[in-house]
Amino acid sequence: MASLATDLSALVGPAHVITRASALLAYESDALPGYRKRPSLAVFPGTRDELIAVLRRLAQDGVPFVARGAGTGLSGGALADGAVLLGLHRLKRILAVDVAARTATVEPGVVNATLSRAVAAHGLHYAPDPSSQSACTLGGNLAENAGGPHCLKAGVTLTHMLRATVVLPEGEIVTLDRGDDGGYDLLGAFTGSEGCFGVAVDLTVRLLPDPERVITLLADFETVRAAAQATSGIIAAGILPAALELMDQATIRAVEESIYAAGYPIDAAAVLLIELDGAAAGLDADAAAVDRLVREAGARSVRSATDPAARAKLWQGRKKAFGAMGRVSPHLVVQDAVVPRTKLAQLLEEIAAIGARHRVRVCNVFHAGDGNLHPNIPYDADDPDEAGRVHAAMAEIMARCIAVGGTITGEHGVGLDKLPYMEALFTAETLDAMCTLRDVFDPRRRANPGKVVPVRACREWLGAVSARVAGAQA
Amino acid sequence: MSAISGVIAPRSVEELAEIVRGADDGLRICAAGTWLDAGHPVQAAHELHLDALRGVRAYVPDDLTISVGAATTLRELDAVTAAHGQWCPLLPWGTDNATVGATIATATSGPFAATLGRPRDLVLGLECVDGHGRILRAGGRVVKNVAGFDLTRLMTGAWGTLGVITDVHLRLRARPAVDETWLLHVADDDAVAAWLGAPLAPLACVPFGMGAQGTAWLVRLGGNAEFVAASRRALFALGRCETRDASEWAIVRAEGGPPPRATHWRWNDLSRRLKTAFDPRQVLNRGLLGELA
Repeated sequence: MASLATDLSALVGPAHVITRASALLAYESDALPGYRKRPSLAVFPGTRDELIAVLRRLAQDGVPFVARGAGTGLSGGALADGAVLLGLHRLKRILAVDVAARTATVEPGVVNATLSRAVAAHGLHYAPDPSSQSACTLGGNLAENAGGPHCLKAGVTLTHMLRATVVLPEGEIVTLDRGDDGGYDLLGAFTGSEGCFGVAVDLTVRLLPDPERVITLLADFETVRAAAQATSGIIAAGILPAALELMDQATIRAVEESIYAAGYPIDAAAVLLIELDGAAAGLDADAAAVDRLVREAGARSVRSATDPAARAKLWQGRKKAFGAMGRVSPHLVVQDAVVPRTKLAQLLEEIAAIGARHRVRVCNVFHAGDGNLHPNIPYDADDPDEAGRVHAAMAEIMARCIAVGGTITGEHGVGLDKLPYMEALFTAETLDAMCTLRDVFDPRRRANPGKVVPVRACREWLGAVSARVAGAQA
Repeated sequence: MSAISGVIAPRSVEELAEIVRGADDGLRICAAGTWLDAGHPVQAAHELHLDALRGVRAYVPDDLTISVGAATTLRELDAVTAAHGQWCPLLPWGTDNATVGATIATATSGPFAATLGRPRDLVLGLECVDGHGRILRAGGRVVKNVAGFDLTRLMTGAWGTLGVITDVHLRLRARPAVDETWLLHVADDDAVAAWLGAPLAPLACVPFGMGAQGTAWLVRLGGNAEFVAASRRALFALGRCETRDASEWAIVRAEGGPPPRATHWRWNDLSRRLKTAFDPRQVLNRGLLGELA
C-alpha cells in the first residue's frame, strides 16, 4: 500500500491523498448512518487526466476502489471496506452549456443544484431533484439513477442523460450513449449501476425549459388511507402532476417541531403536496380538477400557492423532512420501496401495523405519485434491542412490498442496505445475468465490490474465485 | 450463410429456453415478421415463431401499467387500453400489425416520442431468454425501479441479439381529454420549429407533403380543453388549417419514418464483449447487425 500511496501522491499531489486512519474516519459512512466501513486510503483527483491516471494505476495492481461524490447516498453504496476511496468532488467544472440545444456537459463532481443555478438565467433547469440536491453530485446521480419529487412528470435521471465519457475499471475510455444512432443502450445499462461499471469523467445532460406557471397545492386529511386514495384518484383521472408527495403525521410533527416548520396542520393524519406545472393555459383547470378530487377523497382543506416564496414554504417541510428527523433520534433507517399506486392505501395500513407490532416509530414521507414509499424509522443504533426491532420491521415491510408486485428500491439504489432483498425480488438466473453484464464492464469486479448483487448469486464469479485460488496455490 | 430450413414455435417461455439451450444453429426471431428485413441477412437454420406468446398478462387500469406477451400486436394493445380511456403511446413508425416485442427489441419510436416518450422511456420491465437459454425477468411492473443492473435497458433496442423478448411491462397514459388533428399549410417552417419548443407545443407535428403555399404539416393537439384552445390559437396564427381525422396518423406512421437503424449499427469493443457474454454461440439473430468482427 505504501508504494501505491506514493504513486497516487505523485499523480494528484500529496495534499489529495489520505492514508491516516483518523482522517479516513470522515469517509466511513454515507447518509445512511447505520453502516460504517473504513477505506484503506482515499484519493481525490482534481482533473480528468489525474482521474484517468489514478484509475490506471489502481488497475495495474488490481486494487478494488469505490467512487464517491458527496456521500449523500442512502444505501451504503459509497462505503469502501478496505478498498481505495476515489473522491470525485474536486471535478466540479461545468464544461459546456448549449442553450439552443438545451444540454450541458459537466464533470462528475458538479453539484445537482449548482447546474440548475448556472443555467437559470437562460430559463432552463436540470429536472431531477433529489432531496439532497444542494449537496449531491451529478456523477452520483448518474451512478444511482437518482429520482426526486419532480421525477413524477419529468422522469428519473436516465431520462435526462444523453452521453457520458466513462473510464472502465481496467483503464479503457469509452463514450456511452442511448444507442439511438445504432448501438446497444450502453448509457442505459451504465446509469444506475452504482459505481460497479466504471467512473464517468464527463456527462452530457438534457436541460428543460422552466415552466410558464407553477401551482402548488397542500391538502390535509384525517386518515392516511384517504390521502393515499386521493393520490391514486388523481393518477387514475389522467392528471400528471409535476410532483405528488405524501407526508404522514409522524413526519409532519417532526418537521413542525424543527427549524424547518412549514406551517403544516399538526393534527392532520397526512398531507399531500401536489405541484402542477407547464403552460399557463389549462393549468388552472387541472388545479380545479385536483382540488375537486382531493375533496371528494376526504381532504379537510386545500391551500394553494403560485408565487415562488409561498411555494418554497410549502416545499420546505418536504425537502427538509429527513433533516428534521435527525432531531428525533441519532440514527435513521430510510427505505425506498415502490408499490403499484392502487396498493398505496393498503400498504400504508400494513406498514403502520408492522411498526406497532415491533414498537418502532415509522415516519412516512414519500413520492406518492410514483408509488415510491419511504418508510423511515428514527432509532438509536447503539440500543441493540431497538436496532433489532427496527431491522425486523423493515424486513417485513420489504416482504410486503415485494408480495404486492412492487420493488425494493425506486431511487436510492441497492448498495449494501438492500442486498439481502435481491434474492427475494429476482430469480437466480436473472441475478446471474446481472453479473454477466457487470463482467463486461468490470471483469475483475474491482469497482465497488460487494454491492448490488449478492456475490453468492454469481455462478461464474464463484467459478472464477476458485480458479484464482487454485492459480495462486499452483 | 445457412438457409432457413424450418420453423420452431415455442408455446411458452420455458419451451423457448429449452430451444435456445439446445440450438446448435442460428435462430431468427420472428413475431409478426414486420422487421425481418432490417438491412442485413440473418444467418439462421430456423425461424423462431413467437405467436403463442401473445395477449394481456396483467392490466390494472388505475395503475396505468400493463403487461403483455411479446407477440401482442400494437393494434391489440391499443384496443385494450382505449376501452379504459388510456393508451400506450409507443405509436412507432410502421403499422399497427407490428408487435410490442419487436417495437421494444428495435426501440422504434414514432412521431410522438418527443412528447409522450420513446420505447426506452415507456418500458418498465421485461422477460426474455438470453443466448445461454437463461430466463431473465428484468425490471418490474412499477413505474420507478432501480433494483439491480438494468437488463431492461440492455435488451431494449438490442434487436434480439442479446435475448428473445417474451413479455413486456409498459407504462400507460390517459388519452388526452381533447384530441384534435389538423393539417397546417405554412410558408415559414422556422415559425413551426419555434412553436414546437414553446409551452403550447402540439403532441406531434410531421411534414405531410408540399402544398401550394409551402410545406404541409400534420399536427396533433392534446390536453385539457383550455390548453388545446390556446394551442389551437397558436396553430391558427401559423397558417391556414383544415381539420383532419386522427386515423391519418396510422397512415403517416405506416408510410413514413426513418430507415431501420440496424443498417448503420456501430460495433465497438464494449458492444462486442456484450454480445459475446450474452450470446456466446451467436445463436440469436446472427448477422442482423452486420458482422461482429
